[in-house]
Amino acid sequence: MTVNERGRSGGFPERIDGRQKVRGAVRFTTDFSLPGMAHAKVLRSPHPHARIRTIDASRALQMPGVLAVVTGADISAMPDPFYGVGIRDQPVLAIDKARYVGDMVAAVVAEDELTAFQALELIDVDYDRLPALMTIAAALSKDAPALFDEPSAGVPLIVGAGAQSLKEPARNVLYEFRYSRGDLDAAMGRAEHVFTDTFYFSRIHHYHLEPYVNVARADSENIEIWSCNQDPFILRNDLSRMFGYPLHNVRIHTAMIGGGFGAKSYCKMEPLVVFLAKRVKRPVRLCLTMDEAFHTLSKHAAVLTLKTGVTADGRLIARESDIKLDGGAYSDASVSTTIKTGYRIPGPYRWDAISTVASSVRTNTIPGGSFRGFGGTQANFASESQMDMIARRLGLDPLELRRKNMLAAGEAYAPGDSAFDSDFESGLSRAAEMIGYGAAPRRKGRGIGVSVGLKDGGGTGNQALAEIKVSDAGEIMVRAAAVEIGQGVGTVLGAIAADILDRPMSVVKYAEIDTDHTPLDTGTHVSFATAVSGRAVEAAAIDVKNQILDFAAERLGCDAGELLLDDWTIRRGNQSFPLQKMLREYFGPVGTEFIGRGRMKIPYDAAAPLGSKNLFWMPCWSAAEVDVDEETGKVTVLKLVVGTDAGRALNLPACHGQLEGAALQALGQSLFEELAYDGTAPANADPMNYRVPLVTDVPLKFESFIEEQGMGPGPGGAKGIGEAGMLGIAAAIANAVEDAVGVRVLQLPITPERVLTALRAKEAGSAGAPKI
Amino acid sequence: MKIELTFQINGRNRSIDVATNRTLAELLRDDLNLPGCRIACDGEVCGSCTVIVDGQPAAACSTFAFEVDGAQIETIEGLSPDGSLHPIQQAFLETNAFQCGFCTAGLVMSVKALLTLHPQPDDQTMMDWLKSNVCRCTGYQTILAATRLAAKRMASSE
Repeated sequence: MTVNERGRSGGFPERIDGRQKVRGAVRFTTDFSLPGMAHAKVLRSPHPHARIRTIDASRALQMPGVLAVVTGADISAMPDPFYGVGIRDQPVLAIDKARYVGDMVAAVVAEDELTAFQALELIDVDYDRLPALMTIAAALSKDAPALFDEPSAGVPLIVGAGAQSLKEPARNVLYEFRYSRGDLDAAMGRAEHVFTDTFYFSRIHHYHLEPYVNVARADSENIEIWSCNQDPFILRNDLSRMFGYPLHNVRIHTAMIGGGFGAKSYCKMEPLVVFLAKRVKRPVRLCLTMDEAFHTLSKHAAVLTLKTGVTADGRLIARESDIKLDGGAYSDASVSTTIKTGYRIPGPYRWDAISTVASSVRTNTIPGGSFRGFGGTQANFASESQMDMIARRLGLDPLELRRKNMLAAGEAYAPGDSAFDSDFESGLSRAAEMIGYGAAPRRKGRGIGVSVGLKDGGGTGNQALAEIKVSDAGEIMVRAAAVEIGQGVGTVLGAIAADILDRPMSVVKYAEIDTDHTPLDTGTHVSFATAVSGRAVEAAAIDVKNQILDFAAERLGCDAGELLLDDWTIRRGNQSFPLQKMLREYFGPVGTEFIGRGRMKIPYDAAAPLGSKNLFWMPCWSAAEVDVDEETGKVTVLKLVVGTDAGRALNLPACHGQLEGAALQALGQSLFEELAYDGTAPANADPMNYRVPLVTDVPLKFESFIEEQGMGPGPGGAKGIGEAGMLGIAAAIANAVEDAVGVRVLQLPITPERVLTALRAKEAGSAGAPKI
Repeated sequence: MKIELTFQINGRNRSIDVATNRTLAELLRDDLNLPGCRIACDGEVCGSCTVIVDGQPAAACSTFAFEVDGAQIETIEGLSPDGSLHPIQQAFLETNAFQCGFCTAGLVMSVKALLTLHPQPDDQTMMDWLKSNVCRCTGYQTILAATRLAAKRMASSE
């Protein structure tokens, strides 16, 4: 029975990590220790922006049990103390300046964690406070001081036709992405209506439950680290460059990860842990608290202004967008997030002309970085909110406006880019039907909204290698660098291999990742593993199958084309040859292994706007029914529908799980979840005060659907879906609120206060919805 | 300063000298090698460290070890000592009620405490109990399904 047949019959394989997980028996990096291990803690800046005059650690060093205190002065002696994606501006510890409340200023290593924690109190830092730039507007104001005195290292990512990638183009602007196609002025001239609206997207934190945790050991020649980082090979490159060690002298171990949602991508505090281990000549563990995680990375807040030209009958003509992301104090993944936000702003529609300027602005706030959806959620909230606003202004049906302009499967998203590989319209219609769109008149205060999230998936120019070891008994060991972070990647990749080799899932293992042994990939990002790693695993399994058939053909003295591999038996016509017996007879009693290899590379292509044709397109068909209490402004989501196209679902329950989990994260951000600043410090950067969705926040009706349209680039037409559910929800809810009570909330989260303010403004008769 | 504690852990009596500032989570994870108790928020918010103390769910991260002197403690490791699955674990497995697995042990223990006190909980009771546990991955629907399935099976096997 093939994986596909299993799917049709509804009996998907049990997850290969399932028993361990429900027994609480998974070994996460938090459970890892080494003999003689010391513990580190980090001193963080209480100031948003300050020059560090002196750091006096003498009192801390006198404390019994303290092994070392390290500061920016020590760090600056590294071959390269900076990291960041593309643009490298973040020092391992603050050098000269601290740039946000929570910036890492010094680190203590001690015999135990408590001693290290107590010693932090004994470090005296003399700060010279500088003006704080807490918002995008403040950072761009004429008299704003420059947050960085010198240009930062690194190069912006290379883009292709129609796009420009600009590093540090203006003061306090980290990066700018420009993209245009068509003649904007001429197209706007043809438009009968031009609407300009501005949207405000909130900052949230990932709230991954497994803390940031690393254990490192290092000497003058070798670095070894056990890390919760989800990008082992990117991390290996960073550590090699920053410490000046050859790649193969850096070894990364990656256990299963207890949630990340983007937070654990790219280099963060890992070089610090390595530095400390090298300094004290002992293994060092650094496990951050959740409060510290809040101060490490957040999703980019953003201001998006969309100027959209349309005909009176609702044909989209042109869109000019100005997008500013709050990149926070350091680059992290701001460059790529900016590119993706800018590129996705047109949505899944046809246009005559597009012109986009997207920038990431440096502020004295927590660095912005990867978050599930990676710019797609920002772009979709603005774009899909404005679609509804335009429809209402023109007196058109919002669903029809979308259908009328939607790209069909086979149409290119943009000149030079790949064609749509999903029927976006049919999925949208399904979501609309499930929510009861256009059904009987509703009660007062009730409303329905739809939206279509869109994201390019698979990444720009990404690659994955894979290796499969198959024992003479037919046991399969899949080796790939796609990290198990909750999505069930081992099960999916295992199912691809088992299908080709006609083996049951019970014999499949997914090897623990170790860069000395695991084949490379470019990181577990962008819903990448099923389609990209999946293709590499598929090739590796076919390689093994061919080796087996060649071996059997040689033994049987026939052509491999005459043979079939079926249930670990070689079939030749009516004859059957048990494979293990054949192998043992030839190789001896220890048995043997077949090792197959595969590689999948998304080619670079200068004719594509992002420098590489997008691998697949990820829809998020979203629909919400809400009740709005006009007395209190409270929005209750009565029903939420979310759907996507998996191409071919390799594990259907896991697909629903990914989609629903992402949709509930998005619901939280839509209605209440926000990492807010109160002056210069975060107001709620701790688990007590930061609210994430609980079981009581699940809408009474919450339905997900998975289409299997079969057009994806992965095995059997599969695609990735990991980020899909995050994309369209906020706009669907905002649209439903307007449908319910006639006011538009342009800012997330859609709190009771914002709804009430909008309702009062409407009563007062002011034109349009104010910025609240 | 250390004090001697005596307690029952997963059905076995233990005595151990423990520092007065040690938490129950540290006692379980570091002294008793029971790492299924996970520390995430470390502030009695997320429920990842939930264990059962004298029949009631407790946040081990925010309970001092000395508080469990004389108590009966159950951890996830006690549910399936021989590797077989407890009906609650089996239900979580079948309904895909986990993804990364970091919250799972705490949730399973919350459900265990719930079903012990309320073998057939209505939806409101289930919500009241399970809102003590954060799962950032699943969206909770499968966790509710697992709880209902486990309740049904445990009732029919009694």
